[in-house]
Amino acid sequence: MRLSTLLVITSACALALSGCGSKGAAQSDAGSDTLTLGAAVSLTGKLAREGGLTKEGYELCQSKVNAAGGVPVGGKKLKLDIQYQDDTSKPDTAAQLVEQFNDKDVKLILSSYGSANSEAQAAVVERNGQVMADSAGADNKIFEKGYRRTFAVLSPATEYLASIVKSIAELAKPKPKTIAFVSADDGFSKTATEGGIAEATKQGFTVLPAQYVPNGTSDVSSALTKLKGQRPDVIIGSVHLVEGIAIIKQAHELGVTPSGGFGESVAPPTPDFAKTLGGQAENVLGSSQWTDTVKGQDKYFGTAKQYSDDIQAKYGHLPDYHDAEATAACLALVLAAEKAGSTEPDKVRDALAGLDTESFFGRIKFDQTGKNVSKPMSVIQIQDGKAVTVWPTEAAESKFVWPGAKQ
Amino acid sequence: MTALAQATLYGLLQGGLLALVAVGFSLVWGVMNIINVAQGAFVILGAYVAWELNSALGLDPFLGMFGAAAVLFVLGYVVQRGLINLIVNAPIYLTLLLTFGLDLMLVQGMNIAFTADFRSIPTSYAGNSIALGDVRVPLGRLLAFAVAVAVTLLLVAMVNRTRTGLSIMATGMDRGAARLMGIRARHVYALTFGLSAALAGMAGAMVGTVGTFNPAAAGGYTLLSFVVAVLGGLGNMYGALVGGLVIGLVEAWAGQYLSGTWVNAFAFLALIVVLVLRPSGLVGRAFYATRVEV
Repeated sequence: MRLSTLLVITSACALALSGCGSKGAAQSDAGSDTLTLGAAVSLTGKLAREGGLTKEGYELCQSKVNAAGGVPVGGKKLKLDIQYQDDTSKPDTAAQLVEQFNDKDVKLILSSYGSANSEAQAAVVERNGQVMADSAGADNKIFEKGYRRTFAVLSPATEYLASIVKSIAELAKPKPKTIAFVSADDGFSKTATEGGIAEATKQGFTVLPAQYVPNGTSDVSSALTKLKGQRPDVIIGSVHLVEGIAIIKQAHELGVTPSGGFGESVAPPTPDFAKTLGGQAENVLGSSQWTDTVKGQDKYFGTAKQYSDDIQAKYGHLPDYHDAEATAACLALVLAAEKAGSTEPDKVRDALAGLDTESFFGRIKFDQTGKNVSKPMSVIQIQDGKAVTVWPTEAAESKFVWPGAKQ
Repeated sequence: MTALAQATLYGLLQGGLLALVAVGFSLVWGVMNIINVAQGAFVILGAYVAWELNSALGLDPFLGMFGAAAVLFVLGYVVQRGLINLIVNAPIYLTLLLTFGLDLMLVQGMNIAFTADFRSIPTSYAGNSIALGDVRVPLGRLLAFAVAVAVTLLLVAMVNRTRTGLSIMATGMDRGAARLMGIRARHVYALTFGLSAALAGMAGAMVGTVGTFNPAAAGGYTLLSFVVAVLGGLGNMYGALVGGLVIGLVEAWAGQYLSGTWVNAFAFLALIVVLVLRPSGLVGRAFYATRVEV
C-alpha cells in the first residue's frame, strides 16, 4: 500500500518535472541572441505556388535584416531566425502548426498564405496569447471577430474589386454603364465581390446579378453563357489564378466580348497569367496589393524598386505582390519588437497596435481591428505581356488603356 | 434558347474530355480490379510531357500527345510489372494504398521538377471558335472531343478484334482460366496498365491545350475519373464515354439553370441517382462484380 502510494507520487513528480523540463528546454528568446518567428507556409498542395512566394518573402526579410546586423532590441542586436513548417495548403494543419510553435515557446507568428489558412491560425494565436503578422489573409471576416493579436499588413478583401471599379470610374473613356461580377464561392472572393458591388453602386454603374462559380474550377462556361445574353460593358472576376485564366480563355471561346473588357482580382498580377494566356491577356485590368512603383521606404529594404531588385537578384524573377506582402509582415514584426524593446508577445502586440511607419510596401498602420487601412491598393494592366501600374495615377508607370481587352 | 444550345454543346465537348481522362481508369478497374488513385497524376504528367515537347521542339500538342502516350505507356508498364504486380492478389485496400502513395510521390516529384507554376500549352488555334449562328464551337475542345471518341472506338476495336485485346478481356474475366489457356497474365496486366497510363497521358496533352494545369490539379482528375467510371459502368469500353458525356451535360445544365456553385453537387446527385436505379452503372456489366479471382 505504502509502496504503491510512493510509486504514484514519484511518477507524478517525474511527469510534472518532465513537463516543466520540456517547457524549460524549449527555445525561449528571453536572454538569447535570436528573435525566433514561426511560419507555417503552404509548400505543397493547391496553394504551393503562392506559398512558395510567401516563403521567398520571409527568407528575404531574414537575410536583409541579419545582413544589417540583426534586430536592435533592448541594447542587443538579435539575429532573426524564421522556422518553417509545411501546412500542405490545409487550414486545420496551418492552425495545428501554430499550436506546435506555441509548444516550442515560439510566440511570434508569420501567417500562412490565404484567408482560409490565416483565419484558422488567428483563432489559435488569440487563444495562446501569441502574436501574428498576417501577410496574406485579407478577408474582412478575420477582423470582425474581435481578435486583438492578428495584424494584417495588406489591404482588406473589400478593396480588391473596389479599386478596379474606382480606376474605371476615374479613367475609362467612354465610361461604361453596366458591370457584371463573376465570383469564386470562397469567403475571400465573396467578400471582395461585396466590396466591388458596393463601390460600383456608389459610382453609379448598373450592376448585374453576380455569377458564382465553384472555388478553384477551370470551367466557368456556365457563368459566361448566362452573361453573354445580358451584354455587360465590363466583366470583373473575383477569382484566383485558375478561375481568372478560365474567364479570359473561355470568354474568347464562347465569343463573350464586353465592350469595356475585363478586370480581375488576384490573377493578372501573377506572371503565370500573361504567360499562359499570351495575347488574350492584353489590357486586362487587375488589382495588386503592391507594385514596385509604390511610394515609401524603410531602413531594411529601401524603396519598392530596391526591393524588386533584391528579389530579382536572389530568386531570378520579378517580385510578385505575394513576395512583398510576406516581407512586409515580417518587417512589421521586426519593427514592433524593436519599438517594444522586447520579444515578450504582449509588448510586441502593443507595439504593433501603435505602429505607424512608411515602408517599401507603403504605409503600415493598423486600425482597431488589425487591418491595414492606410495603404491604397494598386490597379495594374497587362500591357505588352507585362503587368504595369496604371492606378492610382500618382504611382502609375503607364497610361490606362481603355477598353480593358484585346482590341 | 441560344444559351441552352450553347451550354449543351459546351457540356458535350467538356464531357468528351472527361471521358478521355477516365477511360484508362475504367479499363484498369474493370480488367484488373485496381482503383488507380494515381490516375490524375498520370494525366498531369502527360500534360507536362506534351508541354516539354512543345516548348523544346515546338511540337503541336495534337502530335505531342503521342509522345506523352509513349512516355506514359512505358512508365505504366514498368510500374505495374515492378510494383503493383507484387500485390495484385492482395485485398483492394492494399492496391489503393500503393497507388495513393504513388500519387503522392508523382505529384510531389512534379512539384519539385516543374514547380507549382500554372502552365498551358500554347497553340495558335485552340482558343478560337467556329460560329454556328449564335452558338460558338471552341476549336480546341472540338478536337479534344474528336480525339476522345476516336480513342474509345479504337479501344473497343482493339479489345474485341485483336489477340492482345481478347487476352486482356479474358484475363479480366477469369485470370485462372486465361492462364490455363497459355496467356501470360503478368504481361497482360502490365500491358493493360501501360495502355491506361498512355490514355491518361493523351488526356493530359488535351487538358494542357484547352485549359491550365499544375501538379495540384491531379487530385481533381482522379476524382472525376472515379465518378465518370462508376457512372458509366465497368466492363464496357463505352462506359467512360457515356459517363463523361452525362457528367458534362449535367454540369452544363446545372450551371445554366441554377447557381454556378451547385454544379458539383449536381454531378454527384446524378451519380447517386444512376447507382440507385442501375447499380452497375449506365452501361456496365454486372458480372464483372461477381467474377472469380483465382
